[in-house]
Amino acid sequence: MEEIEGYTVVPLRMSSDALHCHSVYMREHFIRLMDPNKPKGRTLFLLNIPPYVTEESLKGFFKRAGNVESVQFAAKPGKDETIKWYEGTNEPFSNVRPPFIFKVAYVVFQKSSSIGKALAVPSIDLFHSSGESTIKTGMELWHEEYENHYILDAEKTKAQITEYMADYDRRERAAALAAKNSEADADGWVTVGKEGRNAGFEQKESVIGRLEKKRENDTKTKELKNFYTFQIRESKMQNIVEMRKKFEEDKRKIELLKQSRRFKPF
Amino acid sequence: MGKIKKILRKGPPATKRPPKAARTESADSALGLDAHSDLEKPATSSDDGFEEPTPKPKPSKKTTTLPGPVSIIAQKKNKFRTDDAKNVKPPTLEEMKELRDTRNLFHSNLFKLQVKEMLEELQLKTKYTEYIDNWMESFTVFTQRLKDGLVEKSQLEVPLNVDKKISGFIFSKPTKEPQLIGAASTGTLLGPKIVVDVALEMPKDCLHKDDYLNLIYDQKRALYLTYVTNQMRSDPAYSQDKFAFNYHGNNPLKPVLELTPAAKQVSKHLQLRLFITAPQSTFKPSRFVPWNNNIRPTYYNDEWDEEEALPSTQHYNASVLFDLTLAQNQALLDKAFKGRRNFQDGLLLLKVWLRQRELDRGFTGFGSHILASFIVYLNQQRILHQSSSSYQVARTVWNQLANTDWTNGITLAPASGQTEQLSTMAGYYDVCFMDVSGQLNLCANVPLGVYQRVRAEAKLAVDLLNDMKLNSFPYIFMQKCPLYTRVDNILKITNYSSIQQMLVLHSKPQMKYDFASYGYPQLLQILTELLQKGLKQRVQAILPIETVSSAWPVESKAPIIGQAIQLGLILDPEHAYEVLDKGPSSNDDPEGSAEFRKFWGEKSNLRRFQDGSITEAVVWGTTKDAPSKKRLIVRQIVMHLLEHHLQLDSKDIQYIAAELDLVYQLSPWFKVSKVKTKLELQQDTDAEALSPNVIRCYDDLARQLHALDDLPLEIVSISSISPVSRYCEPMPVLPQARMMADHIHASHIQRVIIQLGQSGKWPNELSALRALKTAFLIEIGEKLKAQCRLNWSITSEGLLVLKRGFCFLLELAHNKELALLKQEVTERGVTKYVDNPESRALEQRHYILPKVSGALHSLHQSHSAYGPTVLIAKRWLATQLLDDGIWPPMATELLVAHLYQQRNAPQAIAAPQTGFIRFLHLLAHSDWNGELFLLNFNSSWQEQQIGDLEHSFRSDRQSYPPLALATSYDQQHAGRLWTTGESPSLRILSHVSRLARHALEMIETSLQSKDLRFVRPAQLFRGSSEGYDLVIQLKSDLVPNALSYDLGSPFVSFDQPNYLLPRAGKDPLAAIVHQLRSAYSDYAAFFYNPHGGKELAIMWRPPAVFAPKAFKVTELQACTLCDKGKVQVVRETLVEDFKVLLKDFYLRISTPEELKREQREHQNPKRYFNAKPQDNESCSKSKKRKLAKAAKVQAPLKRKSLIKSRPLKSLS
Repeated sequence: MEEIEGYTVVPLRMSSDALHCHSVYMREHFIRLMDPNKPKGRTLFLLNIPPYVTEESLKGFFKRAGNVESVQFAAKPGKDETIKWYEGTNEPFSNVRPPFIFKVAYVVFQKSSSIGKALAVPSIDLFHSSGESTIKTGMELWHEEYENHYILDAEKTKAQITEYMADYDRRERAAALAAKNSEADADGWVTVGKEGRNAGFEQKESVIGRLEKKRENDTKTKELKNFYTFQIRESKMQNIVEMRKKFEEDKRKIELLKQSRRFKPF
Repeated sequence: MGKIKKILRKGPPATKRPPKAARTESADSALGLDAHSDLEKPATSSDDGFEEPTPKPKPSKKTTTLPGPVSIIAQKKNKFRTDDAKNVKPPTLEEMKELRDTRNLFHSNLFKLQVKEMLEELQLKTKYTEYIDNWMESFTVFTQRLKDGLVEKSQLEVPLNVDKKISGFIFSKPTKEPQLIGAASTGTLLGPKIVVDVALEMPKDCLHKDDYLNLIYDQKRALYLTYVTNQMRSDPAYSQDKFAFNYHGNNPLKPVLELTPAAKQVSKHLQLRLFITAPQSTFKPSRFVPWNNNIRPTYYNDEWDEEEALPSTQHYNASVLFDLTLAQNQALLDKAFKGRRNFQDGLLLLKVWLRQRELDRGFTGFGSHILASFIVYLNQQRILHQSSSSYQVARTVWNQLANTDWTNGITLAPASGQTEQLSTMAGYYDVCFMDVSGQLNLCANVPLGVYQRVRAEAKLAVDLLNDMKLNSFPYIFMQKCPLYTRVDNILKITNYSSIQQMLVLHSKPQMKYDFASYGYPQLLQILTELLQKGLKQRVQAILPIETVSSAWPVESKAPIIGQAIQLGLILDPEHAYEVLDKGPSSNDDPEGSAEFRKFWGEKSNLRRFQDGSITEAVVWGTTKDAPSKKRLIVRQIVMHLLEHHLQLDSKDIQYIAAELDLVYQLSPWFKVSKVKTKLELQQDTDAEALSPNVIRCYDDLARQLHALDDLPLEIVSISSISPVSRYCEPMPVLPQARMMADHIHASHIQRVIIQLGQSGKWPNELSALRALKTAFLIEIGEKLKAQCRLNWSITSEGLLVLKRGFCFLLELAHNKELALLKQEVTERGVTKYVDNPESRALEQRHYILPKVSGALHSLHQSHSAYGPTVLIAKRWLATQLLDDGIWPPMATELLVAHLYQQRNAPQAIAAPQTGFIRFLHLLAHSDWNGELFLLNFNSSWQEQQIGDLEHSFRSDRQSYPPLALATSYDQQHAGRLWTTGESPSLRILSHVSRLARHALEMIETSLQSKDLRFVRPAQLFRGSSEGYDLVIQLKSDLVPNALSYDLGSPFVSFDQPNYLLPRAGKDPLAAIVHQLRSAYSDYAAFFYNPHGGKELAIMWRPPAVFAPKAFKVTELQACTLCDKGKVQVVRETLVEDFKVLLKDFYLRISTPEELKREQREHQNPKRYFNAKPQDNESCSKSKKRKLAKAAKVQAPLKRKSLIKSRPLKSLS
């Protein structure tokens, strides 16, 4: 068993006769701030997982070391990376897929004793005993992808939509109800909604911007412009400053252009 | 003066001045300084913004401008910066004036500074000027040492071809010193090859009174040149130099000596040309007036009726006069230019402009000496002031060129009631610009077409300068526009016997005398007259495309030139493709009718038209013909005219038009009769002709959608965003989509965007919104089925609808989806809308692309060549193995659209082929880093907006993709919407530039060669197989072939094609390549031909990527363990991965060399008897070696031979 910097290195085999395999680097997952989804002592951390490997295939393989609770991927080790990886993929009616790149995996076992067993495997074999790969690729994958994810069944989809929308409506209603509720919470804070007697304005950037602009305009209209001599003098000065600035800017542009040798006509 | 002094006082302290002064003084003659000194002078601006500074004595200028305005400004700036706005330095009057003038004159400092930079770049190095001065001195001494004597048979050939040679020429030594002439004298020498012209005057003693007749003068001139050359060669001072003769301006009567000095420091870029001239007083001035004859018919043993007046030889006369008046003309130019940096710079600008357009080439060229004389003329006419700035000089010349007409003649000679004579003179020439002596027409050899072209270009230049919205500098000065890229069709006759036949049978005797039997201008005249008459308004201009004659060594015989002709035709897109030429009515004008019949010969028929008129007419096709067929009408006409009038056989002529249109035709393998449809389809149809079918079907579908009953919300707008709708789909789209076993099969899907009416009830959650959208689409589908009986199917992308054999994908666009995608909540709980890649893609597809699509559609309506140009361009890119993933198709469309904007040429492009050549030019010569391609559709963007964008582009170049494209619909995304950092990446961009340069090279050599064949499409439209490391062959039955004309893959020979109809919207190969790129692009680049390519070519990244490296958790991707605790990426492992991903698809993996060898072996067995296995092996070995050497570099020669060896003919 090869080891490097605390990682156990095992080959990842896609078929029994594979000559050139990727190396997977494994160790027990341990960091100071543990993620509740990757519990201490039960999580195996794997580096350099090829892009085509799926959660199911890993789950299937590591079953031999004990029952697997979950397999999670991430682009690189780190906090919140797993959340980023799966962002948008679980929403219905969305075409977002996790990226297709080399990744890291977290295998969470039900028992901590499984870790040792997992670390002792000579190789990660992602094929059935019949020699067939546990991962769908090539024609098979794309056919399945097309049949199951691209083409939708109209009736089933309709049913799914009705169900989802009903659920959505329920949620909306609940939220609306909550918004109307203007009672103070435990700390004494009152959430102000759009409706009701003490409605606040919508917390949108555009709305806030509009309000601020209005205030600015108000002060502007009250101000006298080009009235006092010093103001006129200043605006003239400003003008000159701007023209000079433009000149300088153009000169800088030329410097830039000069670097790319754009002035040789032939 | 006083004002200047004021500046000085504020300038650097007096003690610092001397060193600075010394520096600038030496550079005072430098070109660069001038732009400033022009503006720095005290001036009184007139209303038009042109400054007219009061002239002052030269020496004072020198001293006053010494400290250099730059330093003054810099100092001021520094002061201002340190004191900050609190204490802004009050501007001097000069500064104000300068700032204002810059704005008025140049629009912006930018243009002025760019001009200044360019002039600096053009400035001649002092080593050259010094060398020229020294050379002149020594040459003067040399000429003084020459001795009189009889010219014996020298070893040198006399560089002149004449029928009757004179004998006994006595050389007499020159009495005058040799003079610099032309650019060298006026101080406007222009690199990169600096040609210094020197004139040596033969003394009067050499010439007799009667020498004006029958080319005796020209022979003596040539003999004199030969003698001087001979003497120079034997002189030790010159013996090392390279001697060669050449014709000046492709004129066989004007041999000159081309001397390349051996001196190391200059020999690369410097060349001296020696002209022999004669004193003006040699002959009577009246000898060479245009109406006189100076070459007698008897000279050519022709008979001439004594009674009849001798034919005038105005062009020959002008050629002699050129020598006689040279000194006088040069004196005038010197007077105007010497010491006037502003005029010199102005002329330099104009010369750059002219040379970029290649209008100054050859016998018919509009030489820069004409421009120089024109500047003097304008100065005389008081249109140009003595001290106008260089920019004003150029601008005024363009303006005057565009707005004056020289066909009636203008003259430099002092006016003394010669107007009558001028108009008579002008009658003898197309264009007339008399010189200072009033005898020589400077434009004697310039045909009307070339002159008009110069005018058109000048007008364009003025328009560009006036257009405040763009930086016109690169368009005017930087862009190369060779003549062949500006013409639509090219006629080429190189066959010797055809040329002779035309000259003997069809050239009039007076033309022969006039041009001293020089063939080229005669041919030009014959052909231009005939074609102009036949093509009438179809053609805008017929231009000669000349190649400059090349020098020959002094020992060999002078070559005969002008035995081939190349004409470029600029077509008028409005009229060029009319199918009918109508003659005069046979009743009203029987004579005209008869003439018409005679002119057109058998092609002309008497026809009765719908309006009742009966006239002679020629019909070239039917109005229903496909556009690509109509584009050949002009060719048809030209061929007919040449055959009918000049008895030329069509195989002796090359007419280059629509040679490349083949590539978007329907493949001959696909039998159109198999498609079940009501439409009439031809087997030789093409993508362009098929597009209207799809568009018509789409229009019908849109109508049906609008008419749908009881939809909860009405459909407000429907727009198509597929390339077909803007005539940009290079694949022929046939109506062959159909239902098979409840599934829609289609090779193309046309995307359509639908917008619904307003409603407040859409949900505020992305998923819910999408769910509702899908529900809506299903509803539309059901209604379409019920009301219009159209088949449909719902997909995750939208609604597939099948109509008349075409497949459409309907998508719903909704504002709220975009808003929800952009929505972000800040920490303070404020909702913000921020662009992200996903929202940008959605906005592009749903809102911006429909608008751009519409704009491009209308562009095609006004320029019918736009669509086909895009088709050729897209096909070319595809055959170079560049698919949509690395080169976005919209980039092609927008770049081509950019070419069709008016600013690139005075005329719109009428032929797709020319459009494609210009596209290649754009790819080959663009400065991607510095240029932002902006398409201002309908000029909807204002100056301010454009300025802001360009400013942001320049100051923040890094945030824009390598290829920056913007349209006026892009809003805040301008410059970042159509391309990204990866597609195309910098690497791909430079790869494409290289490919384009290579393709252009092929086209250029083919145009310049005497061979009567244009580049075959197979040469251009098949990628190179060089440079790839691996080729993955795919199973050919799994990848359907493209319907367009296939010119073969670079790797394997033709295979049985398959035209499987895939399921609609399914393109697994593209999806897999996308996967491969996203995972492995750090280690390899992937290429394939998206138009039915069956190989995937792979290029590994540089070896450094695969080198062992230290173990790092974050950089462990794809690494396997190797020795000493290091890790590395192993290529074999990656290949295994490719195999996994391409499971079921790949046939095998091999290197290109292996494939090639196998291909050869595969073909060889047919030749049992002369097969030489040894040869074969050594050949492949050498190839391998070469390949290793020139890895990734194109090997054009090898490639050509490879292409030739292919049995391509079997296709057609």
